[in-house]
Amino acid sequence: MEYKIETTGDAAKVVFSGDITFSENVSFRQLLKDLSAKNVKSCVFDLSKVGMVDSAGLGMFLIAREQAENGGWKLSVTGAQGHVASMLKLTKLSDLLQS
Amino acid sequence: MTRINQSPDVSPEDRPVERGQLTAGVEDARILVVDDMLLMRQMIGMCLSRGGFRNLAYAENGEEALQIIAESPPDLLVLDLKMPKLDGYEVCRALRANPATAALPILVQSASETPEERVEVFAAGATDFVSKPINQPELLARARMHLENRFLIKRLSSFHERMHAELSIARGMQHSLLPEPDGLESIEAETGTRIEAAYQASFELGGDLWGCWTLPGNRLGLFVLDISGHGVTAALNTFRVHATMARFGGRVRTDPAQFLTELNAALKPHFPLGMFATMFYAVLNHGTGKLTYAGAGAPRPMIVGSGGLRFLDSSGLPVGILTSPSYENRTEQLAAGESLFCYSDVLIEAPARDKSFLGEDGLADLVQDVLAEGPRETLVARLLDRFFTGRERVLPDDLTAVAVHRVKTGKA
Repeated sequence: MEYKIETTGDAAKVVFSGDITFSENVSFRQLLKDLSAKNVKSCVFDLSKVGMVDSAGLGMFLIAREQAENGGWKLSVTGAQGHVASMLKLTKLSDLLQS
Repeated sequence: MTRINQSPDVSPEDRPVERGQLTAGVEDARILVVDDMLLMRQMIGMCLSRGGFRNLAYAENGEEALQIIAESPPDLLVLDLKMPKLDGYEVCRALRANPATAALPILVQSASETPEERVEVFAAGATDFVSKPINQPELLARARMHLENRFLIKRLSSFHERMHAELSIARGMQHSLLPEPDGLESIEAETGTRIEAAYQASFELGGDLWGCWTLPGNRLGLFVLDISGHGVTAALNTFRVHATMARFGGRVRTDPAQFLTELNAALKPHFPLGMFATMFYAVLNHGTGKLTYAGAGAPRPMIVGSGGLRFLDSSGLPVGILTSPSYENRTEQLAAGESLFCYSDVLIEAPARDKSFLGEDGLADLVQDVLAEGPRETLVARLLDRFFTGRERVLPDDLTAVAVHRVKTGKA
């Protein structure tokens, strides 16, 4: 997994690429730290270049969601395709992560 | 016994400070000093005993050294290069060729020191090199460093071995949560089904679990579940899930949506943030073939048979995320001659050697291929054979595959 944070004003967009799986635990936590340091009002996770997400990856989205709620910013995901889109739909996390 | 390392001529700088606690006992290490000159043996021996080492042995040539090492292997060898009978190079090569001494640290000391010679010494298997005339603090520092490394590696590998043993015991215990073959046989006899299951724990611990039981009114309850993530937390939580389910009475067990709701309520307070369980629970009336089920985000189970393949809608919020998610019961018909096939996500997500993964469509295709090739009752076994062709047998996550085959000539 790789990611790039793009900030416009108080809105951030994180563009992910590669797979988001259990082994990305550490870099995902780093991403969350980076995000909270930026003090944004909203953030969009762009998943259009992600090929696969496993259950641990979905768990990381939930951690991000909790951090957003606690930090008072809005989190949403966009662009999920293929396997990623079906995982979000199957677990109904698409509803939870779409605000 | 007098401890020589208390002597004042060892300055505090000579002692390892940060690693000291980890390498306590390094002074007891056995060091073999090999040199054909008595004066050199004495000088090196004195240097080492001043440094606190008291378990020293000596050899006059390579042959004698190998003999001593074979009888009682040291922790460190301080080795001269030019000696009668067998020289230092030969000793290095002989020790490295023997698995028992392949990792023994060898500190070579030599007078003539050309770059070519150094290359040859290391190529022969030496660990390190000090030049003559010997600088005593340097010799001591190098000896201590290699002994400390050896101690740390020994400690680390014994820790590693212990963890390996513990994990293997834990995997065994987790396995014992699964249905026993005897129990399954009597369930099969009572319900007129064939239950075919495969479970393979990952090399780490994982969070898969499945189970089944009979219920009043000709019914069979079956669940598959996968706790997110890997490792000890996921594995221990399978025990929590198992214990929680064991408390559920018949009323909850006959209502899949209620079952998921109750399980969620019991588990949500205990699951750490980001952890959840995807799940599927179904109740089959084996008399009529009516299947009532509810999903919490488990991979979509399939119904397969001569009529083709159809997916069940197992979508739903995984257990353990929200305080009160809503689950709904859905129904489907499992005809005589059809099978219900449930599996964990590793089947659709595990990468093949070419890094591709099956995905749901790929798995469905594979299931249909396998069905066409042989009897339905051996679907799971044959499917996994095919799955592991082109994949490592060791998987990054637990694998569960369960099929309930409704037999044509059953009680129906």
